[in-house]
Amino acid sequence: MDTILFQGLIGLSLAMYLWLLSAGLTIIFGVLGVLNFAHGSLFMVGAYLAYTFYGMLELPFWLATLLSLLGVALLGLVMEWGFLRRIYDLDHAYQLLLTFGFILILDDAVKLIWGGVFKIPPIPPFLEGAWPVAGRLFPVYNVFLIAVGLAVAVGLWLLFERTWWGRTVRATASDREMANAIGVNVPRVFSGVFMVGAALAALGGALGTPVRVVAPGIGAAMIIQAFIITVIGGLGNLKGAFVSSLLVGVLSAYGTLFFPVFELFFIFVIMAVVLLVRPQGLFAR
Amino acid sequence: MKRRRWILAGVSGLALLVPFVTPPGADAQCALGVPVIRVGVQGSSSGAHADYGRQIQMGATMAVEEINAAGGVLGCKLEMKFVDEELKPASAVKNARYLVTEWGAHFLVGVDSSGSAMAIGPVLPELKRIHFFTHAATHRLTEELVAQKGIQEIVRVSVPVYQESLAAWVFKDRPEIKRFATIGADYEYGYSTWNLFKETMKKFRPDAEFVAAAWAPFWTMDFSPHIAAVMAQKPDAIIATPWAGEAVMLLRQALLQGVFDKIQVWFQGMGGSVDVLEGITREVQQDKFKGKLWATARYIHNWPDTPENKAFNERFDKRWGRLPNYSAETTYSAIYIAKAAVEKAKSLETPKVLEALKGMQIQTPAGLRVFREEDHQFVYNVPAGRVVWDPKYPIAVLGDLKVVPAKDYYRYPPFTPVAATK
Repeated sequence: MDTILFQGLIGLSLAMYLWLLSAGLTIIFGVLGVLNFAHGSLFMVGAYLAYTFYGMLELPFWLATLLSLLGVALLGLVMEWGFLRRIYDLDHAYQLLLTFGFILILDDAVKLIWGGVFKIPPIPPFLEGAWPVAGRLFPVYNVFLIAVGLAVAVGLWLLFERTWWGRTVRATASDREMANAIGVNVPRVFSGVFMVGAALAALGGALGTPVRVVAPGIGAAMIIQAFIITVIGGLGNLKGAFVSSLLVGVLSAYGTLFFPVFELFFIFVIMAVVLLVRPQGLFAR
Repeated sequence: MKRRRWILAGVSGLALLVPFVTPPGADAQCALGVPVIRVGVQGSSSGAHADYGRQIQMGATMAVEEINAAGGVLGCKLEMKFVDEELKPASAVKNARYLVTEWGAHFLVGVDSSGSAMAIGPVLPELKRIHFFTHAATHRLTEELVAQKGIQEIVRVSVPVYQESLAAWVFKDRPEIKRFATIGADYEYGYSTWNLFKETMKKFRPDAEFVAAAWAPFWTMDFSPHIAAVMAQKPDAIIATPWAGEAVMLLRQALLQGVFDKIQVWFQGMGGSVDVLEGITREVQQDKFKGKLWATARYIHNWPDTPENKAFNERFDKRWGRLPNYSAETTYSAIYIAKAAVEKAKSLETPKVLEALKGMQIQTPAGLRVFREEDHQFVYNVPAGRVVWDPKYPIAVLGDLKVVPAKDYYRYPPFTPVAATK
């Protein structure tokens, strides 16, 4: 029983990390209708910036994280304002090609700036240590991930459901032309949403740095998982992304414990089962 | 006066003709009839495993520079081109074809991934080129492709996966360590390492129990579920095979779960590589692994304790500002082996160079390497050791070295199959 509880908690922290990755992706699709292949690359740039500010310049961890979020939000602004908004009215294939192009550019850019070899920032002292849970030691870092994931979920719910900006965004997502007719500055809303999505990707990257390595290509590795989660939850549905992150994170952890031989395929098995039962995803309307 | 003008005109005319008489780039002293000897090198130079490809490139560059400075091979200069294999077999094969058919490589060297090696191997007879493999460790490369299928163009300079069963020698005299688990790389290297370890361990210790296995694919960033899953079975020792940046992540995440308070030994295959040791030096200095972390690599920079190895380390450090890891040494030595074979064969033709490799014994920074004709494997000794901090070095090193002769842990033909499955 203790083992099941402990593995479940480990799965929960994995789920919250996956949630941070997929939240921004699903918000951008839900509002802008853009399937941003480069979301993982924004995550990677966030990780590199956090490494630079925290690991190299030795700024405090929180300040480094904040600066990385701001940096990637700005990069998101450049991507949306400079490129994506020019192809909103074109076929989805153009979005895929453009965002895929960004993956190649950003991967090469980080290699040029930081080199191809992986980087290892130190663990901030407040994230070291572990607490006894179910007869084992549960890392403070994993507790921290769970707390941040839940805080982001609550924060996004408040932002979209309880603020004027959130209502404007939802109105724009529902009917772009009507929102424009009643005086909403749609391009500005789109830029703002893309920046929020990019900052969420960067948050995942930055919070991963204490125990992960930072390397070119980590974005491409993470985007696959983020896509699977968004597809399971229903494209563009924030609640769906949260629930599917929980499902994938916790079931993957139990899969590793009980079916280690199938670990590699577990996440795909979950996706296949959900899509067989509900092809539009769990929470899509 | 007139005569002097004629001489001047004659000399100038001859000078103008020189570029047409001598082929561009050719060295008048080259006895092999080629402008240069081209060495095509591959390694993974991007992502979490990028340091291995980088080290392959550094080792190859240094060997080429040294050989050229000393007059080349039979008077012929070497030229090298490095390409990224991306750990993708399709890219590796495409690169090999490009290097030979378009760039004109006389030899191929390198490759990090076993998958890439297994894909390149069958193409080599068609390309008619020898490939000196300097990292890919699958036993199948030499056992199946050379010894059984007879692909002669495959030559391996690094230790195959057999070396990971050195873990069995580390544990065999410690009866208090009985329950073993693995956190394995979820591909052939991870499976065959675990299977070879179990096979070897059973010979020494029939009482050994193999209690858990968790498998992590390439690009696993969060090993927490794997660590928690194997720790649930209360192992005494863990054999781990994720490598490079993934090994660093795994070890750091294991520390967070307090694993080193519960187990007695953690054996990290390829953990003695310089990039892994660099990545965990901070934790080793703080004694966070409590002396329980053991590792090996296919060459260890602080062993053997010979003038040749020390000189190699010093030259490498001077050239690159780093210590050489195993892929640097194996690639460096491979190019010297190619040089020796070409000099013996006095030819670049593949069959003649292969013939020259027969019976070859060569001193390298890693010690004496002996060519085994049956499977084209260069056999040499590499120890396992405890990861320790020694102020003599800038990074953590392997100490308490346990040197098991290669003849004891190498497999011998005829080869019996090793299960390459979970």
